[in-house]
Amino acid sequence: MNKRIFRAIFGAAMAVLLASFALLVGLLYTHFSSVQQGELRTQLALAKQGVEQNGLAYLDGLAPRDTRLTWIAADGSVLYDSASEAEAMENHLDRPEVRDALAAGYGESSRYSGTLLERYLYAAQQLDDGTVLRLALTQNSVLALVLGMLQPCLIIFGGAVILAFWLAGRLSESIVAPLNALDLDHPLKNEEYGELSPLLRRIDSQQKQLAAQTQALRRSRDELETVTYNLREGMILLGPDGLVLSMNPAARRLLDAQGPVLNEPILTVCRNLDLQTVLAKAQQGTPAETVTQLPAGAYQLDASPVLSDGEVRGVAVLLFDVTERQKAEQLRREFSANVSHELKTPLHVISGYAELLMLGMVKPGDIASSGEKIHAEAMRMTQLVQDIIELSHLDEGAKDLVWEPVDLYAAAQNTVQSLTAQAEQAQVFVSLQGDSVVIDAVPRLVDQILHNLCDNAIKYNRPGGHVWITVAAEADDITLAVQDDGIGIPDAQQTHVFERFYRVDKSRSKAVNGTGLGLSIVKHAAEVLGAKVSLESEESKGTTISIRFGYPKTEK
Amino acid sequence: MRTRFDEQLETLHKEMITMGALCEEAIARSARALENQDLKLAATVPDLAGQIAHEERDIESLCLKLLLQQQPVASDLRTISSALKMVTDMERIGNCAHDIADILLAAHLTPDAEAQEVHDMALDTIRMVTDCIDAFVKKDAALARAVVDADDTVDAAFVHIKSLLLEHLRTPKVDGEYVLDLLMVVKYLERIGDHAVNIARWVLYSLTGKREQK
Repeated sequence: MNKRIFRAIFGAAMAVLLASFALLVGLLYTHFSSVQQGELRTQLALAKQGVEQNGLAYLDGLAPRDTRLTWIAADGSVLYDSASEAEAMENHLDRPEVRDALAAGYGESSRYSGTLLERYLYAAQQLDDGTVLRLALTQNSVLALVLGMLQPCLIIFGGAVILAFWLAGRLSESIVAPLNALDLDHPLKNEEYGELSPLLRRIDSQQKQLAAQTQALRRSRDELETVTYNLREGMILLGPDGLVLSMNPAARRLLDAQGPVLNEPILTVCRNLDLQTVLAKAQQGTPAETVTQLPAGAYQLDASPVLSDGEVRGVAVLLFDVTERQKAEQLRREFSANVSHELKTPLHVISGYAELLMLGMVKPGDIASSGEKIHAEAMRMTQLVQDIIELSHLDEGAKDLVWEPVDLYAAAQNTVQSLTAQAEQAQVFVSLQGDSVVIDAVPRLVDQILHNLCDNAIKYNRPGGHVWITVAAEADDITLAVQDDGIGIPDAQQTHVFERFYRVDKSRSKAVNGTGLGLSIVKHAAEVLGAKVSLESEESKGTTISIRFGYPKTEK
Repeated sequence: MRTRFDEQLETLHKEMITMGALCEEAIARSARALENQDLKLAATVPDLAGQIAHEERDIESLCLKLLLQQQPVASDLRTISSALKMVTDMERIGNCAHDIADILLAAHLTPDAEAQEVHDMALDTIRMVTDCIDAFVKKDAALARAVVDADDTVDAAFVHIKSLLLEHLRTPKVDGEYVLDLLMVVKYLERIGDHAVNIARWVLYSLTGKREQK
């Protein structure tokens, strides 16, 4: 801009200078020409009078310096010339001024010399005797004028150029300086140039628009970041060239990504092969998923291409924790395998004895005992199926449970009564202590808990052993404890006893009639009732299992 | 021309990281299979070793093409020539992992008294491989030096386990196959550690231009 203004000013100055110079020369030249022309006429008129009065004598007495006087006869021959010998000169009849003078009495013409540097002005007057008197004046041509003035002209011109150059520079700078000093952050505060105010207003409005857009963008980015920052699932966004656009802290933690990750190739951030495989697929435009083993557990990788106009513009990757799901699936698989196994064992016995009976291979005296065995195994199967039904019922969240006030002590009493026969058979002494406490619970589940706990305490005991059942009520803490001094549970196995089909002593499990589901049911039932189960046991000393109902008893 | 060269260098870098990741995965699977007696997992290792060998040929031809066509100088030349050397060591790591898996598949090897030591040694070795690849990816000279130093730990573990196995041989009821197989496994682990050190040295060379003394 500075340069352009400079060029414009400088160019204009130069053009004006040259034009005025040319015009001035032209004007002066015409002026001088006309002055000279007038002079020529006057001199000619004077000479005419002199010649007419005195003839040649006048001409001889004349010694012109600047002018040249020629007297030409009517036939064109030269009678006298002030510059050269008249006899040597050629006929002048063909000269235009002479011809004009002969024809009209007066003629004028001008001619350039061979070098163009001089111009001759001619004026011819016919005398009364028919001869022609011609006066010539030498005049410098424009070219000669210019050439003559060249040196001063050049000096003046050079001075003018330098002056114009300097002025143009200063001026253009002073024009541009306020433009450079414009405060574009506050466009409306500039008052230097009124002509700029429409532009400045426009800039102002656009700046406001921009600010609003930037804020909106920032807000949406912040929103996204806040959302993804607290996400438990890992999330990674990749650009079209595989560079990381965003990676939330969960993803960084899961993939153990250290150092800067933004705008880094994903390969340098994480070398997980499963991730690379799904990413490669997603970058081809097909969503892909896989389960990978990360240090934190099993995670599902979900890579979906971000498509726009059928082109992959990036990839979004989500990492879900599927450790629990995998564990649950494994548990379910183990459970069904265990269930079929446990159901098959009594069936073998039943079908074996039934086959013997069918083929008549049992002695009449043994029929009763065979029937008893079949019955016992069938009972065992019934128990198993009941337990399984109960468990799956509890698993499904048991929605149809009826909550009503239950007297824990009375329920325990019932259980003890129902198990009296079994206890006597095992020679185990069962005692119950505590007060009547009413809680809000599901009677069936309370019975299940009590029955299973007492049943276990009697079963895994030895002759002469004891079972103490305590119902204790404190301020808002009701505890049911079943303690025995039986065989106990080894430390290493205490964490497993609540698992389904887990039996501590596998060799004894056939001898002691049990399904391996009892404690599992207790745990689930307690969970449904909102109670906590705790286990204390020492091998060959005994076991205490306490159920703490955390909610206050209901007053009767 | 330059941009094409840069692109090819970028490809080389990516391929190297991929190959490194394959190596990490191969040895990690071998170690996990050894620890958990997971023969199914062990059976997937030969496939990985195949992929690693394939990757080695790809990278080699890419390096040679770069050397011939682009005639790189200075640090570019170091990067390419060290990549050429590193893939050899990576391929060996893949082979060692493959060999460990083969022993597992053939002998149903169950580390007994030495389980903890073997586990620790395997973890150290995996750490070394991961670190030397990390050093390459992040151009981290300090990490590369740490890998070179960590080799002593793995060597010491090897000597320790060897002495434990020697004790076995002195007992009358010696299971010769078990001792030999486990010795092979720990020897392979030790070899993997050496290869990781080589890789780390080449990383150092490509970064500093100086060959460190062995």
